[in-house]
Amino acid sequence: MPRRTLLCTIAMLLLVAVSSALTIGTRAVAADDDTDDRISLEDAKKLKSPVPYTKESIARGKVLYRRDCTECHGADGKSQVDVIANATDLTDPEYWASGISEGEVYRSIRDGAGDAMPPFKDKVSKDEDLWDMTNFVRSLWPESARPKLAE
Amino acid sequence: MKRDAQPTGGKTQQPDATRRSFLLSSAVGAGAVVAGVVENARANTSAASIPSIVIPKEITESLAQEPKPGEFGGRGITGAEVFANQCKEENLAALFCCPGNYTVINAIAAAGVPSYGGRTEGAMAAAADGFSRATGEVTACSGTEGPGLTHMIMNIAAAASARTPLLVLASNMQIAGDDRETFIQTGYQQPITSGMKKYGKRLIAPDRVWEYGGYAFRNLKSGVPGPVHLDFPGEVARARFKEPSELKDYYTKDKYRTESVMHPDPADVKKAVELINKAERPLLIAGQGVFQGKAWDALLAAAEKNDLAVVTSGPTRGHFPDDHRLSLSLAPDALSSADLVIFVGQYCMPSPGEYRFNPDVKAIRVHPQPEDLGRNWPLEVGIVSSERSFLEALASELPQRKRESWVSEISAAKDKYDKFINDQYALGLKHSQKTEHLHPAVLCKEVHDFLYKGDIDPKQTVTGWGGWTIGTYAGRWLRAYRPGQEIVCAYQYGAIGPDVAMMIGASAAVQQGVGPQAPYKGAPTVCVSSDAGIAHSLFDLDTAVKYKLPTIAVIYNNDCWGMWPAATSSARSMHLYLFQQNLRYDKMAEGIGARGEYVRTDAELREALKRSFEAAKKDGMSTLINCQALKEFTSAGAYPPGVSLNPEPGCGAVAH
Repeated sequence: MPRRTLLCTIAMLLLVAVSSALTIGTRAVAADDDTDDRISLEDAKKLKSPVPYTKESIARGKVLYRRDCTECHGADGKSQVDVIANATDLTDPEYWASGISEGEVYRSIRDGAGDAMPPFKDKVSKDEDLWDMTNFVRSLWPESARPKLAE
Repeated sequence: MKRDAQPTGGKTQQPDATRRSFLLSSAVGAGAVVAGVVENARANTSAASIPSIVIPKEITESLAQEPKPGEFGGRGITGAEVFANQCKEENLAALFCCPGNYTVINAIAAAGVPSYGGRTEGAMAAAADGFSRATGEVTACSGTEGPGLTHMIMNIAAAASARTPLLVLASNMQIAGDDRETFIQTGYQQPITSGMKKYGKRLIAPDRVWEYGGYAFRNLKSGVPGPVHLDFPGEVARARFKEPSELKDYYTKDKYRTESVMHPDPADVKKAVELINKAERPLLIAGQGVFQGKAWDALLAAAEKNDLAVVTSGPTRGHFPDDHRLSLSLAPDALSSADLVIFVGQYCMPSPGEYRFNPDVKAIRVHPQPEDLGRNWPLEVGIVSSERSFLEALASELPQRKRESWVSEISAAKDKYDKFINDQYALGLKHSQKTEHLHPAVLCKEVHDFLYKGDIDPKQTVTGWGGWTIGTYAGRWLRAYRPGQEIVCAYQYGAIGPDVAMMIGASAAVQQGVGPQAPYKGAPTVCVSSDAGIAHSLFDLDTAVKYKLPTIAVIYNNDCWGMWPAATSSARSMHLYLFQQNLRYDKMAEGIGARGEYVRTDAELREALKRSFEAAKKDGMSTLINCQALKEFTSAGAYPPGVSLNPEPGCGAVAH
């Protein structure tokens, strides 16, 4: 092989390798912005709801749920419409991947869960509203798993 | 140009500078440069022997021909020509077709109906739908028996969901061959379109062809529109008639259908006015019936007289301007404050809970058909009327009133929404800068700024959008400031794919300057779609180029079906959701005669849009802009917000 051709080939391979490494690098990087205020799983487990699990809170949460959640989870929470996402069945917490403590449920609504569930903290800006939604979601669970209603 | 001739493709053309623009635009990363060098070397070795893409002179000559409708006498007019003449008399706005059903499409083209031939029957059905969504007019699509008709099915269903007045035509063998599986392509068409048409008929009596044309246009032009499907066996299409008396019910159109419209009962209008007077925060939902009934002036008059808030719904947006102080289309948070909603022209009716209203909201509904009133949504008042008549009556009967508190709330909700989408953009910009790939929020903001904040008249460009990940952003950023300016391609049926073909149809409407498109005649249209979507209609960029229908397809290329997160809990199914990476849709577009652009940054997209609009203006050229993204942008975990679904009705809605 002529020397110039060989050098060109090596140069091209290097460029390809560099560009491939850059590409692979970008794909491996996820967002870690300074704007990222997501709650860690550990912190979520420790969270306690400032909004008691009451009929009133559940009713307020239901209104917000109907506005923001039914497209994926359905009005009954069973997620039986498969059009938009393979969403979690909210009536069956036994199989939830992101935790079922009140803090973890709150975190899933606030910050999103897995790859598919988007965060709602921008759409539902009041923290109390997020807790009302948390309470409503827990009200969809089987009776044996539901929290006890507060007075 | 001769009388009634269609705008021609003009001189033969070549997609100049596409390879050069590819090399320039791809000189972003070292790897891309290497790829470009290799590509250029290939080009040099083969350029001399490969002819350029040209529009053959036969197309130009054919488009310049004067209409030559069939006539009685002599050898006789054919059944197809009788029907074609009826289509012309009924002002059928356009025909989009693939060959097959030859007798009928030749006759319709000869009769002087603007006609367009494309690459797939499905895309042609979508183009006819898009033309109608941009104008409200009746359009037609046509294909061969069997495979042609079945290829159209998804788009006939989409048109049915959108209540588009779409005339679906197909040939269908011979009556003599029924039940014998004679030759090929035999099939019973009418059962196939069951549930997705307003009216359908296999024509079986040659002398009743005009009579059934009357059935078709009565259904297309009155009440709630919807697809009408006629299939033509050879005995009907090729029958010949020497005298009008040989045809049954051969009357002029004023005798077989009426232009009379339904007016509201004054007592019902009075009840509506009383409810509106009692309400503090009334909201009028202006559905597609307002657009199709060309009732936008009456809507504006009624809204402004009494400070009624308005939100649009349906497959077309713009019949109430997004930038009006009373528009709720960009103020979703205010929807739940409304204490009275007035549905006008809402043909695809939601159920309570599907629209984000106060559960106790009172409702009035206006509809042309009494049997639909009270379906799904309980009403305080149901009014049978055409949309326009009702809105004119309302504008007349409502008192002048200012609702400062309500208007102020709407304004605050608009500010909140604006902040929300701009915060998403800011986050998307960080993702873009970090990865050097275009985030969907950045893509859509750039298109928004180019169309509405730059040198172009913000009212000029008709846009449409589809796709999944990109659709959830595009719906938020595209605007409608005048009737027929935005097409919601996925409306209600949710089909991913027909959007680019729909916009080619819209481009034809703009090129002809039909209805609300008249002031913007010849302007390009823009379609924001996805790599998944473009698979359905990429080849019909050939049709756009052939007819000089400038269509700019901005394609979000994330190498996958956007729903891939559905496979994250099922590792063995992930491959079902992914494509090869870095496919070059821009190169494919170049290969079929359109321009191609490749971009990965906001600055590159800005320049690509400029070049695309210049090419559209100069040569009527269409462009595909391949916006390279990452599939991970759909991931809410890795790149929040991933996707976020849209409020409805209003900006970004796809349902109802």
